[in-house]
Amino acid sequence: MEIKKTALAGTLESSDVQVMLSQGTNGIQFDLDSDVAKQYGTAIKATVTSVLNAYGIDNADVKIVDKGALDMVIKARTIAAVQRALDIVDEPNWEVL
Amino acid sequence: MANEERLRRTMMFVPGNNPAMVKDAGIFGADSIMFDLEDAVSLPEKDAARYLVYEALQTVDYGDAELVVRINGLDTPFYKNDIRAMVKAGIDVIRLPKVETADMMTELVGLVEEAEAEFGREKGSTRVMAAIESAMGVVNAYAIASSTDRMMGIALSAEDYTTDMKTHRYPDGAELEYARNAILHAARAAGVSAFDTVFTNMDDPEGFYRETQYIHQLGFDGKSLVNPRQIEMVNAVFEPTEKEVLNAQNVIAAIEEARAKGSGVISMNGQMVDRPVVLRAERVMRLAKASHLLDAAGDYISNVKAANSQEGGKQSEK
Amino acid sequence: MSEQIQDIHLRNRMQRKQWQDFLVDRGIEVFADQEIDVIDDTIGLFDENGQLVGTGSIAGDVIKYIAVCNQGAEAGSRFNTVVSELVSRLAQQGVFHIMVFTKPQYTTSFEHVGFTKLADSDQGVLLEKGDPNIQKYLAAIPKKDPDEKIAGIVMNANPFTLGHRYLVETAAKENDWVYVFVVNQDASLFKTEERVALVQAGTKDLENVIVVNGGSYMVSYATFPAYFISSPDAVVDYQTTLDARLFKYWIAEDLHIQTRYLGSEPYSHTTDLYNQALQRELPPEVAVKIIPRKELGSGDAISATSVRQALSDGDINKIENRVPITTYQFIVSHQEELEARIQKGNENGD
Repeated sequence: MEIKKTALAGTLESSDVQVMLSQGTNGIQFDLDSDVAKQYGTAIKATVTSVLNAYGIDNADVKIVDKGALDMVIKARTIAAVQRALDIVDEPNWEVL
Repeated sequence: MANEERLRRTMMFVPGNNPAMVKDAGIFGADSIMFDLEDAVSLPEKDAARYLVYEALQTVDYGDAELVVRINGLDTPFYKNDIRAMVKAGIDVIRLPKVETADMMTELVGLVEEAEAEFGREKGSTRVMAAIESAMGVVNAYAIASSTDRMMGIALSAEDYTTDMKTHRYPDGAELEYARNAILHAARAAGVSAFDTVFTNMDDPEGFYRETQYIHQLGFDGKSLVNPRQIEMVNAVFEPTEKEVLNAQNVIAAIEEARAKGSGVISMNGQMVDRPVVLRAERVMRLAKASHLLDAAGDYISNVKAANSQEGGKQSEK
Repeated sequence: MSEQIQDIHLRNRMQRKQWQDFLVDRGIEVFADQEIDVIDDTIGLFDENGQLVGTGSIAGDVIKYIAVCNQGAEAGSRFNTVVSELVSRLAQQGVFHIMVFTKPQYTTSFEHVGFTKLADSDQGVLLEKGDPNIQKYLAAIPKKDPDEKIAGIVMNANPFTLGHRYLVETAAKENDWVYVFVVNQDASLFKTEERVALVQAGTKDLENVIVVNGGSYMVSYATFPAYFISSPDAVVDYQTTLDARLFKYWIAEDLHIQTRYLGSEPYSHTTDLYNQALQRELPPEVAVKIIPRKELGSGDAISATSVRQALSDGDINKIENRVPITTYQFIVSHQEELEARIQKGNENGD
């Protein structure tokens, strides 16, 4: 699945994460900004990657600004971003949820 | 009816798109947590809030709280996906806003049933409730409250209601008198719970106590809340008195005695004990337990009650 | 309930005053028309008592007039709320690349919400966030061997004249490669895409010239927001310094540009200040070469201004010997439309 348009989900408020997806050509490229990147960077990227994989997205530029989000928040925001990026906001992918 | 088995003193609103509040919603001891996908979420974030609440319901332990979600109204493009997502997530109760007719609940229930089938949830496991926010809703309150077996309760939502009534909220609440009584009667007649509206001015604890005491006196099950600080205040108002607890314990004892004797008739002080009395006794005991008024043996702890009521009383005198 | 974001309508005089007072209390004192008129959207963060505790505005892809009161709130939380709302609103409009010009002391606050610093001066910094960012912009431009002689020219070309052509030709003769960046600004009489196309058409015969849209990174420095700088003298210095450093540390660095060519500017004081800033900031890494303007004999320098003047006067004959044939043909075939644009008062920039 290809990203149709750049999309953003989430906020910059405490306990949230802002995920921006745009078209990429070179696999899944991360740009992660987090105070806890050292401890949790790998886990954050893994969560995002698993959502992208579930949608069959192989190429994407992913910009993440993490404000201390739990895993479930990262997953929820990534799903919202993907649905927006694929232009299917009104048709949730129930298999991914 | 399962409805009678729970305390519903406090129903705390949690903005559905706020991760900090969604994740912490369980720590304040609210009887019911109501995740809001409607007014607290701006239009472009409806999808994001739905996923956030969905994921939270999958992962966060909210303890014994009853989990409610307020979906978007039937006049929006969002409610169908809200219903499917929340049924899939296994929500306890779906709250429909702006309910004016029983037909609206029927439409909701139809979609809930479809979603239960689609996602393999037990039929009937998702309950519903109605928020009454208009004159039409109040007038149809009983039809709404009795529209479905899934009904958990009905709630007054005063902000839109007072606007519809061409007034606004006043400190004495006279403008809500009819609606409160109508909704309460509808709920009692239909055997469902009744919830009072929110009180938003956090700088007026005296007003909050006054209102809560008033709706407790009327007989509401509880109140909708916008701030976790209000939970303790409502619980203080809903605490049973020592006399109520002793009376309830006597009723329970009479029931046990009748059971031991193998008698179908419960009697106390030479009189038959009716079912409403039994239900009230059970409710008082649940309240006493929830308010930590009982020791390990189930006996009343008098000093706790004294301290609690003093605190509540002091604040209400402010 | 909790604090709420609401729209602020600057046309509403009461709200405008409340907003302006709030900013003045926080050291932002410039409300010049050129700063305010470009604002598309302003938001306010209001506390439980309806007090304004934070604000921010959107102007195109720039966010500005951001200020918060931290009293009674966790440090940074209101700032994040305001910026977050601005970013989300821009995203809803399909704008995912955002720039901010601000006081140097706020650099860290913006970096904490995902912004990257592009350039700074004593008075102000430029940061960006989102996609496409400057790395993506640069990655899309063809690269040349760093051992070759590479030059860069930035021009508005509104429209492309023989004066521009002379500058490009000179650089093309003296270098292996010349990047010509066309300033991206649709306030000009000729739209950005038209100007880029005319530069391309007018330099087609010069095989070592690469014409590039300046994107978000080569804009008119005069449009850099300066609402946070109270002294007018400092404003031009800040704008030109920022522009020069952005060119030097990102554009020239990445494309291995060793020389920047400029046309001499005998008439405009601000452009002269700009040239001075480039001469001060770019060397030694990037040399600055100023090429005297081409004249039509008798001291009549060719400028885009004189072309637009002639167009406005309906004196199309005066244009022919000032522009390449490609520009001339475009003007002739679009004369009515261009005149209509002038009528609408779109005439802007140089």
